[in-house]
Parts: sequence; C-alpha cells; structure tokens
Amino acid sequence: MEVHSRDYRDRARRIITETPEVRESVTAATRTFVDNRREAFADLDEAALSGWAKEVKSHALTHLADYLEEAETRLVERGAHVHWAETASDVHRIFERIVEENAVRKVVKAKSMLSEELALNPFLESCGVEVFETDLGEYIIQLLGEPPSHIVGPSIHKSLEDTRVIFHERLGTARDASPEDLAAAARDFLRETFLTADLGVSGGNFLVAETGSIALIENEGNIRLSTSVPRIHVALVGIEKVLPRWADLSTFLQVTAKSATGQPVGCFVSIIQGPGGSAAGEPDGPEELHVILVDNGRTRVLADPEIWEALRCVRCGACLNICPVYRQTGGHAYGYVYSGPLGGILNPGLVGLEETLPLPFASTACGACADVCPVRIPIPELLHVWRRRAVERGLTGSEERTALGLFASAATRSRLFGWAENLAGVLPDWVIRRLPMLREWSDGREPPRATGPTFRELWDEGIE
Amino acid sequence: MSGDARERILGRVREANRDREPVAHPGSLPEAAEPPAPLGETGRTDPVGAFEVRLRAAGGEVVQLANEAAARSWLDEFATGFETVSVCAGVPDALQPVLPAAPPEEAALGVSAAVGAAAQTGSLLLSSREGRRSQLLPPVHLVWVRAEDVRLTLGDALQSCREDLPAVLALHSGPSKSADIGQILITGVHGPGRIIAAIVGG
Ligand code: SF4
Repeated sequence: MEVHSRDYRDRARRIITETPEVRESVTAATRTFVDNRREAFADLDEAALSGWAKEVKSHALTHLADYLEEAETRLVERGAHVHWAETASDVHRIFERIVEENAVRKVVKAKSMLSEELALNPFLESCGVEVFETDLGEYIIQLLGEPPSHIVGPSIHKSLEDTRVIFHERLGTARDASPEDLAAAARDFLRETFLTADLGVSGGNFLVAETGSIALIENEGNIRLSTSVPRIHVALVGIEKVLPRWADLSTFLQVTAKSATGQPVGCFVSIIQGPGGSAAGEPDGPEELHVILVDNGRTRVLADPEIWEALRCVRCGACLNICPVYRQTGGHAYGYVYSGPLGGILNPGLVGLEETLPLPFASTACGACADVCPVRIPIPELLHVWRRRAVERGLTGSEERTALGLFASAATRSRLFGWAENLAGVLPDWVIRRLPMLREWSDGREPPRATGPTFRELWDEGIE
Repeated sequence: MSGDARERILGRVREANRDREPVAHPGSLPEAAEPPAPLGETGRTDPVGAFEVRLRAAGGEVVQLANEAAARSWLDEFATGFETVSVCAGVPDALQPVLPAAPPEEAALGVSAAVGAAAQTGSLLLSSREGRRSQLLPPVHLVWVRAEDVRLTLGDALQSCREDLPAVLALHSGPSKSADIGQILITGVHGPGRIIAAIVGG
C-alpha cells in the first residue's frame, strides 16, 4: 500500500471540515466498542490477563526463529505449502505462480490488514483475477473504492445512508432499503461468489507453533466460507503472529475478542492445521493450503531495541477506540493501514519514520491507549521514542518541538490525575482548536501559545 | 527464491534477538485469572447450564434432552419446520431428521455433531472431518452435543481435541452477525442466522 502519512494534517483537516459526518459515525462506533469492552472486563482480573498475555507474546518474540521453524515443520507435515516473503513483491510473485498454475479467475477474500499492506487486490486485478472482499464492511468499502478505516470495523466511518446509496447503485436495492434487506442483497451476491471462486485468501490472527495452527476470529462466517469452499486457500500470516503452545490459544482468542468487541469470543473461530478435502481424507474443504509467512518490515521492528514490543500487538483495535484523536477523523487521515495509537508506533517501524512522520505526534499523550492494551504495549512511551528520534534527526519543525514539550507535561499531569480511563466522548471543537498538534485542523488563526493549557485543563473546562 | 527469503528472514530474526534477554514463558494462566463461566439456572457453575447461558446471550438457542429417545421425539417435532436437510457425516442415524436431503447450498437445515463444547465462551467445537458445508451454508444449523462433552473452560475443551486435530477445528459460538451497515446489528450475514445446540444426556 502506498504511504500517505506525511499528509496527515491535510487529510485530517479535510475529513473534519468536508465530511463532518465521519466524526459522528466513528465516535458512535468506537464508543460502543469501548462500552462493550469495559463490560466484558468488569468481572475479570484484567491486570493478570494482560500481564500473562504480554509475557507469552514477549517469550514468542524472543524465540521467534525457533517457533517459526516449528510451525513450518508442522504445517508441511500436514501437507500445507509454506512460503516465506520478505516484501510485497515476494508475495506478489508467490500469488502469480499459484494463479497461473491453477488458472485462478476468481478470488474471495476474508478481511486481512496484512493484505492491505501488500496491496494484494490491485496486484491480483492486474493479473486479470476478479477479487471480492467478503466481510460485509470490507465489501461496502470495496464498492466505494476506499481502504479500511479501522482494523476491526473497516467501514465504521460509513453510515446506513452511505450503504443505501452504494447498494442501490451497484446491487439494485431499494433507495430506502432496511439494513436487513441490504445485508440480504450482499449475502445473495457473495454466496454465489463463494460457490464459484477458485481461491480464498485469509489473514491469520495467530500461528500456533506447537501444532502449526492458524487461528482466525470473526463474526459473519465469511472467513469460514473463504477458507472452506474454494479449492485453494492462501493464508497471509505476519511472522510476529506466533503463539508457542496449543494451550496458549484459548486465552488469546478470548482476550482478543473481549478487547476488540467485548464478546467472550467471536461467533466463529477457525483453527486450521492443514488442507482439507481428499488430501486430508475429509469430505470437503480446500485441496491446497498455502501459508505465506510475511516479513514486510517486521524484522526491522524486531531489531529495534526501543520499539520491538510493538510486535506483541494482537490487532484488537482497543487503542484506536479509546483514542480521542482517532475519533476525530477515523483511520483514513493516517495514510497507511494502521491508524490511531497503533499506527503511531507501528507504521514508522514498518515503513520508516520519514515516511510517516506526523503520526507519532497525533496524540494527546493521555495514556488511555496503554490502559486498554491487552498485551501491555507501552504505547505512549513508544510514541515518545519516535518523537524524540524525529527531533534528533532534525525532521521536525518548531511546531512539533513545541508540541513535544507540551505533550510531555500533559502526559505526566494527566497520568497523575488519572482521567484517561474516563475519557469517552468526542472532543468539542474548541478543545480541538486549542490542542497543540491539532490546532492546525481548524481554520482558526490564533497565534500559538507559548505555554498552552494542558489537555487535562482543557478537558476539565469542557466537562465543567 | 522462497528458500533464500526463508534464510534471510530467519537470519534477521536471530540477529535481532542476539543480544536480547530471552523472556521466559509464564506457563499456564493462573486459574484465578480465567474468565469465569456464567452461573447456570441452578445458581452454580455447572458446565451445561453455564454453556446454555452463554450461548443464549450470544443469540443462540439451546435445548437439553435427557436421552436419545427424548432427543428423537424433540427432533421429529423440530423437523416439521423445514422442507429439506443436509446432514454431516458425523451425525448418528438416530439423530437424523426425516426430511428430504438437499445439497448444503440449497438445504433449509444443516445438522452436525460437535466434538465438544465450552461453557466459558458458549462455543461448540466442530470438526471438518464431518464436512464443513453443512455446518456453514444452510440458514439454520442444528448441532448435537453430548452433555459429558461440555467442558467448563475453552482451554479444557481445546485440550481434549489436541491429540487428533482435523484439518479445521471450528468454534461456533452464536449466529452469524454483523454491525457493518451503519452499526446496526444484523444476524445471518454469511453463516447460519440460527444456531441450535441440542444437548443430549446429563
Ligand atoms: S496496540 Fe494493543 S490495544 Fe492497540 S490494537 Fe494492538 S493489541 Fe490492541
């Protein structure tokens, strides 16, 4: 995927001024996620769970090479093809071969953020292959020609009305169709597509080394169908997705689902060990399973002594949902696959600080993200590392340097006052205008204040 | 090409970790930290009761049937609501509805037999060995499960399958759902919109 993060400020300003309804949709959706998450953890020892999950992931990352080899061995024993890809073009070449050898014409895709990194859809289309996103949210934005704006809810920036308009145009549904009718139209179309597709593409939430299992969590059933109905299944798995033991899986499935949507676990989980069908002596399922283990910048992050912990991320989206800055714009402003606090710590590592510069600054340093992270990634500290490096490398203007000081003091004070946990609302416009980094979003022409109020002071004013 | 990429990636991973203090695996999650299974109707945590509470909360349906005879007569009644059925290979003859068979993509009802269940998450564990299409394509999915196969935790349920894993072990923990259209919850998007767990024995 092309990186447009350098334009963060312009993109953010445009979203806020030209499509104010995006903020409404995103805020409503993320509030629901946050409330459901809070409820899900209410009767749990969250500290014990996240502490355990952190240790397991850190263990896996510090023994990563051995575990990757173990997973590969298990998968090959079960008849899967395991490929290794350093870059997007490696992945493209692997797909090109599979497509050619099997005369693949039609592909169904289950939601995969990694496939967005790899710009897989445009590549497959350039090979003359038809590609259909099957997650309902992904399908909506594919019709609209937009990238996902949230790693869990790709279309949360879209309203019912937006979907009505595009489905009316493309699927011929009534202009005032109910949500049920819209879903039924998409299901009918995609059902036919599942049954006629040659190949299904999925991502992978976890890769269990001990059993070579790829685990996938979802609610719609499109992942189960994409990985079961077509003759070939290709799973794209980032090398950081490893879990050491089969016994680790049950807790990670639960913690991820609870943290993402507040559910005990997704409505469907697929735990895939190998190809199905006659290859496995089973009645149906794909005859071929290809697992592509993808680096695409991950070894660079792993090698970074200050940033490597970002690879513990399980992509639950909780840090996006709680983030007052993410809520103003949704994900498109961030200009790359990962947005919100996660984007601020991961994108500079994956594609370079210069390419993604303003992202680590797109934060109020409130610390709410660290409080909800189920694998205890110290997000504010990692953001600070990137900001420090940006200053050291002379990449920042005076704006950022001023902001940096304000962030530091706001962070310290806001943590002391402990308001971060209660942060749940959309910020009033006047607060945004006065936030150090976000002031530029508005058309206000106020001169910068030498010592602006802290975020906490603004917040207190805002809520009386 | 893939071989070289493999060596280079693994080489970089080893290099990245060379001077890093290895972190120990913390072992099993402390029992006190396990997400609790809900209390059943009796007010205490029995696996079947807790499973029922959890699956119902997710929008699933549950029937408890004392024995195979009770299951049979419940099934005869239940089957009258459907025209056709697609039955997975794992379902015993006695638990197959008397309905005309249809391919999974056309059948009104899919019937399968779970290899286990977990109360903690309200999950039915389904094996690909009985065939996946009947589990996924019909709009209604009836799943038989034996009461003694319902475990309290998901970890226990998964552990009981560990030694002989099928190509896919799937967890079904509710009807297919989506909130992708304007954040409005819709059931039955791609997978079955109704899931009924029929628990036999106890
Ligand atoms: S950084 Fe933490 S909270 Fe954010 S998506 Fe990753 S795991 Fe979830």
